[in-house]
Amino acid sequence: MNIDLPALIVGAVLLAGLYATMSYGLALIYGVMKIVNLAHAGVMMWGAYAAFLVITRLGVNPFLAPVIIVPLFFGLGMLMQRFIVRRVMYAPPISSLLLLFGIWLIMQNVAYLLFSGDTRTITTPYTLTTFKVAGISISVNRLVVFAVGILALVGLQRFLGHTYVGKAIRATAQDGAASQLVGINTDRIMEFAFGIGTALAGLAGTLMALIFAFDPDFGRSHLLKGFCIVVLGGLESFVGVALGALVLALAEALSILVVMPALQDFISFAILVIVLVIMPGGIMGLIAMLKPKGVIR
Amino acid sequence: MSISRSVFRMMVGLALVGLFAPLLAACGPVAPAAPAEIVLGTALPLTGGQAREGGYFKKGYELAIKEINDAGGVMVKEYNKKIPIKLILYDDKSDNTTSVQLYEKLVNEDKVHALLGGYGTPLISAHTVVPEKYQVPYVNGGGATGEIYARNMKYIFGMLASIEKLAHTLMDWMAAQQDAGKLKKPVKIAVVGENTSHGKEFRKGVQDKTKAAPDRFQVVIDEPFELNLKDADPLLQKVKGANADVFLADARIADYTTIHRRYTELGLSHLIVSYGPRGTEKAARDALGAAADYIVSCNWWSADIPTQEAKAFAEKYQKAYNEPAEWFPALAYETARVMAKAIETAGTLDKVKVRDALAKTDMKNSLVVGGRVWFEANGQINNDYVMMQNLPGGKLGLIYPKNVATTDAVVPIPKK
Repeated sequence: MNIDLPALIVGAVLLAGLYATMSYGLALIYGVMKIVNLAHAGVMMWGAYAAFLVITRLGVNPFLAPVIIVPLFFGLGMLMQRFIVRRVMYAPPISSLLLLFGIWLIMQNVAYLLFSGDTRTITTPYTLTTFKVAGISISVNRLVVFAVGILALVGLQRFLGHTYVGKAIRATAQDGAASQLVGINTDRIMEFAFGIGTALAGLAGTLMALIFAFDPDFGRSHLLKGFCIVVLGGLESFVGVALGALVLALAEALSILVVMPALQDFISFAILVIVLVIMPGGIMGLIAMLKPKGVIR
Repeated sequence: MSISRSVFRMMVGLALVGLFAPLLAACGPVAPAAPAEIVLGTALPLTGGQAREGGYFKKGYELAIKEINDAGGVMVKEYNKKIPIKLILYDDKSDNTTSVQLYEKLVNEDKVHALLGGYGTPLISAHTVVPEKYQVPYVNGGGATGEIYARNMKYIFGMLASIEKLAHTLMDWMAAQQDAGKLKKPVKIAVVGENTSHGKEFRKGVQDKTKAAPDRFQVVIDEPFELNLKDADPLLQKVKGANADVFLADARIADYTTIHRRYTELGLSHLIVSYGPRGTEKAARDALGAAADYIVSCNWWSADIPTQEAKAFAEKYQKAYNEPAEWFPALAYETARVMAKAIETAGTLDKVKVRDALAKTDMKNSLVVGGRVWFEANGQINNDYVMMQNLPGGKLGLIYPKNVATTDAVVPIPKK
């Protein structure tokens, strides 16, 4: 069987952009608040429905939909943190896990009530439009999704490295108590971080809706994939998340050379287990470990 | 000689019995008191992932029961009268455990006389253990997978022909295309299916026919894929690399849309493309546009079947619910009618006798494909499928079997 390897790799790289976008928010919220946001899947699903409404009902250009959706979800995330999540911030981790799981279920059931269980899709003028580069078909939709993933990474890196709020988020992620001592309002910063994480999840849902069909159960398997990516990337680094997404997408794609496509999820979770056991710091941890020895310059 | 008082009384009693006995005999046996209603029960996925299909089933059941009740009910010979049907309907929330609990409730608390099925293989596989355990006759119109009927159950009957048969129908149709000179011989097939019993049975059906006719068919790739596919690229790259002439897949609507979008983006093309029972759904056709044209599908029913029964149902469904009839309510409607017919044939509400009547069902002038309902020894119907092809402009043509075909199939698919 002749597998078109370059096309397979290009497809995986483009998919990695989407994988990264859906994982940034998870990593940010974990990094700052040390909570695993199980509601992330519900937010992605709502991001898909928000895109559906904005594009099909309001007639907004699909690629401009994030301009409406990202601020909206940022606000919702802040409200969610202030009125709900904050109450369990300092409780044992199981409390936040259960709370956010409950929120996910509520989001899912509200979506069933409002939109029914019907499978939805968003069709844009660019859906199915492709162009060829060196004989490889590139989907315009996927390329835009990839570009947005890269833009989100660059934007996040700049925001965290060059703004007061960004630096405060990093400081809070490193040491909350010390941040308070130097006058950072960590409650406010956590609210902000949760808002950004939620906005990123909403953005991911919007982008995914341009590629995949969705229903209220949408996001479940993407959440699990997001966990793998965040663990693989090293839990608290966005560059690590992007690298983790790339490694996972490539591993899944290339795995078809040796195993059947139905085992793609198996590959993801095998990577998760292996990384947790032998490389708990993920890719960024490995890089940090290798640096002093002069392997990476 | 004196007769004691008690002996005297006994003699008078016997004399009276002797006097009135012929009169009583002339009156014949008295029918036992009839129940006010025949109670049927069902649990459908009215919320959750299968809510859309569950909603269709609810409408189909209610339409059939309304019709039966408007005609006075079901004639039950044992009571010598027509008895109306009462349907107890619960929402299983698309959850297997809830479905089982609700069927237990229907049997043990609601004391139903018989059960109608839910929708979907996972739910039906789960809840069918209940009617079997309590020996309550049960018919469903929403579970096709053979594994439901392979458990040697006596009280479970199904109105959907098996998925293997679906694949066989598709292959038989391809053989007919070969015989008509529209498709080469042997034809190289790429077959993929969701990694569920549904997908496995579809792939097995294709493989069975291939083994039976190696001069006609050659499977060059046979792959399962995960449900709710995130990335169809690896799967489709394998399909592309296999250089098949025909692409056959078994997928749910979401995966069908995802796969075929990517299929189109990658510029793949085959002489025939089919997603098993999928293809005609409006949501998918809207999502795929012209890319969905010429896809061939195999289904249990279509409103376009040119029979009086199918047309009559399509019309009354449209009138009742102001929406076009799909196969879901059609099969639900017929499921309820088959149960009513079995009760009438049994002439009693005795569960064993109704079950026996179901096993011997031979219902003519049905709206199902072929017009006849009967059950094989495993409890599953074995009627024909109807094959359709999406045509440009959102149109649809029935292409197989010949007796219901409304148009000739377009084979091979024109290059776009």
